[in-house]
Amino acid sequence: MPSKRFASVLGRTMIYIGLTMVAIVVIWPISYTLSAAFTPGNSIAGLSNVPFGAGFTWDHFTYLFTETMYPRWFLNSFIIAVATMLGTLVFASLAGYVFSRFRFTLKRPLMMSLLVLQIFPSFVGMIAIYVILLRMNALDTLWGLVLVYLAGNLPYSIWLVKSYFDTIPSGLDEAARIDGASHLRTYVTIVLPIAKPILLFLAITTFAAPWMDFIFPKLVLRSPEQQTLALGLTSFVSDKNSDFTTFAAGAVIVAIPFIIFFLLTQKSLIQSMATGAMKE
Amino acid sequence: MAVTIQPADAETHRPEPDPRNTREPSDGRVRGLALAFMGLAHLTVLDQRIKGALFALVEVAFIVTLPSLFHRIVGLVTLGSPHPELPTKDRDNSTFMMIDGVIAVAIIAVFVGVYVISVRSAMQDLRLGARYRPRSFRAQASAVANRSFPLIGLSPTVLLIAFFVVVPLVFSTLVAFTNYSSPEHVPPANTVDWVGFDNFVTMFGGDATWTSALTRVFVWTTVWAILAVATTYIGGMLLAIVLHEANIRFKPVYRAIFILPYAIPAVVSMLVWRNMLNGAFGAVNTLLMDIGLIDSPVPWLSDPWLAKFVVVMIALWAGFPYFMLLTMGAMTAIPADLQEAAQIDGASKWQRFRYITLPMVLYQTAPLIIMSLAMNFNNFGAIFFLTQGGPNVADTTTTGAGGTDILVSWIYQLTVGLMKYNYGAVIAVMIFLVMAPFAIFNFRRTRAFKGEM
Repeated sequence: MPSKRFASVLGRTMIYIGLTMVAIVVIWPISYTLSAAFTPGNSIAGLSNVPFGAGFTWDHFTYLFTETMYPRWFLNSFIIAVATMLGTLVFASLAGYVFSRFRFTLKRPLMMSLLVLQIFPSFVGMIAIYVILLRMNALDTLWGLVLVYLAGNLPYSIWLVKSYFDTIPSGLDEAARIDGASHLRTYVTIVLPIAKPILLFLAITTFAAPWMDFIFPKLVLRSPEQQTLALGLTSFVSDKNSDFTTFAAGAVIVAIPFIIFFLLTQKSLIQSMATGAMKE
Repeated sequence: MAVTIQPADAETHRPEPDPRNTREPSDGRVRGLALAFMGLAHLTVLDQRIKGALFALVEVAFIVTLPSLFHRIVGLVTLGSPHPELPTKDRDNSTFMMIDGVIAVAIIAVFVGVYVISVRSAMQDLRLGARYRPRSFRAQASAVANRSFPLIGLSPTVLLIAFFVVVPLVFSTLVAFTNYSSPEHVPPANTVDWVGFDNFVTMFGGDATWTSALTRVFVWTTVWAILAVATTYIGGMLLAIVLHEANIRFKPVYRAIFILPYAIPAVVSMLVWRNMLNGAFGAVNTLLMDIGLIDSPVPWLSDPWLAKFVVVMIALWAGFPYFMLLTMGAMTAIPADLQEAAQIDGASKWQRFRYITLPMVLYQTAPLIIMSLAMNFNNFGAIFFLTQGGPNVADTTTTGAGGTDILVSWIYQLTVGLMKYNYGAVIAVMIFLVMAPFAIFNFRRTRAFKGEM
């Protein structure tokens, strides 16, 4: 039947065209940024529509590393993100374990408040957080910021870990307990290894959020040597500045590790989305 | 400390015959003692010295700090009095007094919580019976160490959340009932006073400019959240289905490309789009003019209506990979034998998709639509970095709310830009009210999933 075959070929061609058009729209800003990072000059007016069509230079990268505090911003963001991630992992897994395996006074109200607190965006309380940090002498410090992120992460993360533990039969850890291991020992040697998949998911999400957050660093960090990547990069393209090419160079360095990571892990990413997000 | 004994715990405390007495104090007596002073029941009738001493210590510490807590709560009520004659740094700082007062209330709440735990613990120890209660110092110490595991495991978390999440939320609710705003009521130079519902009256009908701005922003926030979720959900699901079902080549290549927006931090992608959509020099306009689709630059971000459209489109660009990945995850989770059974029964490819794949994907992803609505309602980054709330409309100079501002980005403008903390707080309260049904939904969904709690 030639007409049916024709229809199927036509349909497939339409699908190819559709997918390719979406792919072009997805790639466009990325190729634009990439080419801007290597284009001489500062303003977007000098950029060509053809990628790399307006010359090639490494100047913006040299500028970033010699004239600005870019390495320092990178280090600060890294410290904040890693500390937030580690803190969240430790406290959320511990609390998730306790909520999943123990019965204790006030358990129900505590769990309900965690559930409710997840919903409220933490930065509506930003004036209060500012004043609290001011009172604690934690303004303009990285650890103050980490505390804020940590507290904001915990309600959701605890639920995530707790729900995961609930799916694991408690026989394993109870056996360890009967053999005389303390709670802490059971938790470290038996429970944590079992929780690896969910902790990995948590590690990725809690690293990525503070890594590029803007509002809280803007609020908390003041001095030039305490800036983060998000603050530094946005300062290149603020109202006073328009240095898009330098911004692009900085953004490329930030985004490339993420893109490589996501492309390498896309299979397990889909898996973890299925378990992490849908069965929380 | 108030853990009920787990099977494993019971195993370690083997019953010892009790030579001294087997007579137990009455329920009422234990409860009375436990209520009279924290740890008293443990110390006296229950013979649990270590636990009792620890509880008593908490109460002593609380009593010592009580005068200062009281002082702070008085401060919360009065918010200080203006002393124009003093140098600025010596004047009453209302903001500090408010925070300190709220923290004092939080400390009292924590103390009440520990009190409840101590009474429950006493009653549980009593129910356990004298023969099962650890007797020697060492047995008591190890019992406390073991059974306090939940307490030790949870206290850093509870304290962090109390001080950095709950106290700020309470504080911003309270600010809505004060006149904390520039230029006349900003500490430390001036004090702040309680004004009752004045701010709510202003925002909800009392002042035409503010009321219309609030209505405008609220309606747009709702429309924005619905559009952002609807477009990303439909777009993401469509792509996932095409990549999963259609008989085409290069699937991994397409999938890898479509994941890219998800991998790029929102700050970066939004700022790139902001520059690409720049009216005069942006890549979008220059390209469209080069290929002859338009003759003059399109004001993508400076026309209020066009900017709203653009914001949703860019949200689609940034957000569809999330739902695409979710749909893919849901589709791989469909049992293969279900599809095979249908195939054996003679179902066509389209029928299998229509009656198996689609319903299962919809069922699995539906709850996430609701949560995504809540998320986008407060999606600061998608608005702020792209348009900074702009373009300006008629009331922007007074209210600070631009054409694409949603409630959260308006709060940011009000607090950081205009320093109208009181109005910002009214909006925060409004967000709380809007978010409340989502919190309840979240709660019910979890309960439905777990059957527990």
